[in-house]
Amino acid sequence: MVGLAATFGSGAMTNSINDFDGADLFLVIGSNTTSQHPLIGSRIINAVKRGAKLLLIDPREIQLAEFADLHLRHDIGTDVAVLNGIMNVIIEEGLDDKEFVETRTEGFDQLKDVVSKYPPRVVEKISGINSHDLKKAALMYAKADKAMLVYAMGITQHTTGVDNVKTCANLAMLTGHLGRPSTGVNPLRGQNNVQGACDMGALPNVYSGYQPVTDLAVKKKFEDAWGVAALNDKVGLTIIDMMIAAQKGGLKALYVMGENPLMSDPDTSHIEHALSNLDFLVVQDIFLSETAAKADVVLPAASFAEKEGTYTNTERRVQISGKAISSPGLARPDWQIICELSTLAGYPMNYKSPVDIMKDINAVTPSYAGITYERLERGYGLQWPCINEDHPGTPYLHKDKFSKGKGTFIPCEFKPVVEMPDEEYDFMLTTGRIYYQYHTGTMTRRTSILDREAPAALVEINPEDAKKLGIKNNEIVELTSRRGSIKLKAEITKRVPQNVVFSTFHFHESPVNILTSPAYDPIAKIPEYKGCAVKVRRCA
Amino acid sequence: MKTLAKKDLIKAMNIWAQKHDVLSPTKTAPGDCIFDTFREKTFTLDYKKPPLSPKAVFFPHSEVTFKVEKNEYREIVSAKKMLIFGLRACDMMGILQASSFMSRDRKDVYYNAKRNAATTIVMACPGPQNETCFCTTTRSGPVAQKGFDLQFYDVGDAFLIEIGTSRGEELLSAIPLADVDESQARRQIEEFKQKAIRSIPEVKSFIKAMNKLKDGKADEKIWDSFGQKCITCGGCAFVCPTCTCFNVYDHQSSPGNGLRARTWDACLYGGFTREASGHNPRASQALRLKRRHEHKLLHFNEIDIQGSLCGCVGCGRCSDYCPVHIGTLEVVKAIAE
Repeated sequence: MVGLAATFGSGAMTNSINDFDGADLFLVIGSNTTSQHPLIGSRIINAVKRGAKLLLIDPREIQLAEFADLHLRHDIGTDVAVLNGIMNVIIEEGLDDKEFVETRTEGFDQLKDVVSKYPPRVVEKISGINSHDLKKAALMYAKADKAMLVYAMGITQHTTGVDNVKTCANLAMLTGHLGRPSTGVNPLRGQNNVQGACDMGALPNVYSGYQPVTDLAVKKKFEDAWGVAALNDKVGLTIIDMMIAAQKGGLKALYVMGENPLMSDPDTSHIEHALSNLDFLVVQDIFLSETAAKADVVLPAASFAEKEGTYTNTERRVQISGKAISSPGLARPDWQIICELSTLAGYPMNYKSPVDIMKDINAVTPSYAGITYERLERGYGLQWPCINEDHPGTPYLHKDKFSKGKGTFIPCEFKPVVEMPDEEYDFMLTTGRIYYQYHTGTMTRRTSILDREAPAALVEINPEDAKKLGIKNNEIVELTSRRGSIKLKAEITKRVPQNVVFSTFHFHESPVNILTSPAYDPIAKIPEYKGCAVKVRRCA
Repeated sequence: MKTLAKKDLIKAMNIWAQKHDVLSPTKTAPGDCIFDTFREKTFTLDYKKPPLSPKAVFFPHSEVTFKVEKNEYREIVSAKKMLIFGLRACDMMGILQASSFMSRDRKDVYYNAKRNAATTIVMACPGPQNETCFCTTTRSGPVAQKGFDLQFYDVGDAFLIEIGTSRGEELLSAIPLADVDESQARRQIEEFKQKAIRSIPEVKSFIKAMNKLKDGKADEKIWDSFGQKCITCGGCAFVCPTCTCFNVYDHQSSPGNGLRARTWDACLYGGFTREASGHNPRASQALRLKRRHEHKLLHFNEIDIQGSLCGCVGCGRCSDYCPVHIGTLEVVKAIAE
């Protein structure tokens, strides 16, 4: 998000899901689309079947690899080098969109300077990508008429996450694959409402619609709207910062809603210590998660089916969701719990329903001003920005100019994964999700068929490595990093390259985040889930 | 023969609703049509082919079969007096096939309790409801041959009513009807039927595919190519009127308390055939797709198909909704080619 905000002025998927049907080429990097966004993945498959090209950049041989015209399997964490190499070729070959660069962007000379250091031969040494393939990829992307760049957590979950995103943005601007239907830079959001949560200001630095807390005019506007004096104009803490502060004792109380940091945050031992160091922990969730089990107070929340409201999906579309069943026991919708807590704390919140809350959102959030409940009830949602009630919504961003005026090239140098394999910890562990389980399994592990499909954690190991280590399929192995060890079953598969193992964070029986590195991106504060050093041992 | 004036339909529905839970075509706010509890305001006759067949009436997506409370076991067989109005012929055949399967060797008490408590009124199709309808090929429509309690034929201002059972006849006793000449009505129904059949062309590739499968001449490679792009959502099984596979699970809420339930399952999931050892006789998505389609087109049970052609009723929903276009129509086309 920060990366796109810096280059384009807006941190969201630039284009729409329907745009996939019209694209000529997809550059998919760091997204296991069929597994994590299967309906978007199926659009890509259908498009390829009708003749669109697919350029896949991913270390793993994911399902999309079967459909790819070219699959570059780069070494983990070398995304900036690969993308810089692609831009190097594009500029060398004169395939950059000179008119777009001239009229719509700034900072091209700096970009040119940086990418000139990444000719294919150099990139081959860094990333393992054959220079011939890199050239081919560059020509494919640059020559396409309508190319969509698609990425997900494979790009962002690195210490260089922001650099990776900026570099994706640079590539799209360089070739003018932006501001038109079926083009753009398209980060696929990992949860149904993560876009909405960000849009509503569930971030330490902004109010709703990305209005900075440090902007005094914005501060005044919210003080007036909410009838309060002296809102805090300092940027707050990210999760990473909070956990560090809790461990050091500076943070005393934590209120967690719908998160399970004991399973989802890196370096579990550190998180455990941080949480136990708190004076007071409140967890609001629909099930008693691992984190909730440690809480002083648990507030039972209603599930999606038990409440009404709106979600904002990956394409910035706000959609209504209705209530289908009643909540069990004492569970209540989150908004009701928050309203009551606020009232008890001395600031009465008297919303009668999500409709009332939406009116407030419309009033203080320019990009949501026209997204009223009445309009949402009439159709299939509206895409922000939607600045007034007559505005039809925005299927693609940056049409004639970028949100910030001119797009800015922010070139980045390649930096390797912080914890690279060495002699002792000789494998690169990369983590992610699988099709059947969702995040820490709070919901999917409780769903009989999903848990039957994927009942236990697996670690993917390349057959060559397995042979060397004497590991057979389905055998229990032990993974050890500098932070701890876990045991889990081996899946021997060519899906992972040699010297790399892949596992998931869904299973409390083998919590992979005991192993992961606490290193994080200095700007976005996103942890490097995609790479850390481990050793692998056969247990039997 | 009896007829019901169209203007009296709502009155009839309200009368039936006094003694039944009536499910009927319902328009939702964004404009979709589904089978839902009858309400005058949202009831519609312009409903084409609802996205879901009403199979969930008898076979709910998720159903508790017994509960344990304080170590006491209590079976739960639930059924309500239902009336389903506006079934399409293909869905009626779906119910017939599923009912046969659910009571042939062993009576599934949960299914049959609900089936026996339900009255069915079929609305004969005047033609294809969308481009994927192929009931004339599978001999399951456009007019139902059996199974219904009543069948309505829309002939303009009124419905001609064909009586299927005494239960259907009873329904007629309380509503305002008129009489028409029997032989004239029969003629009208025959014309209706012929016109409808003519408007739904036979899918030749379907027959050809069935024959090729029977003769062992289907190209095995097509399964690999479909298997490659299947995203394993299981949606084809969930929208299919004749798919009735389920998974059983237990949930303990506290020691001595809990429940056993069953939920819809799909043969496209790996865990459906995976054995305890980890071995899976249908190890790949290609093999699972092959199994699914062969089950419908080749390895069906003669009793279960209830006089239709095979285990597919030609509703076309799998082709309507598969996100990667692996519906029955696409599969038979690939086999036939």
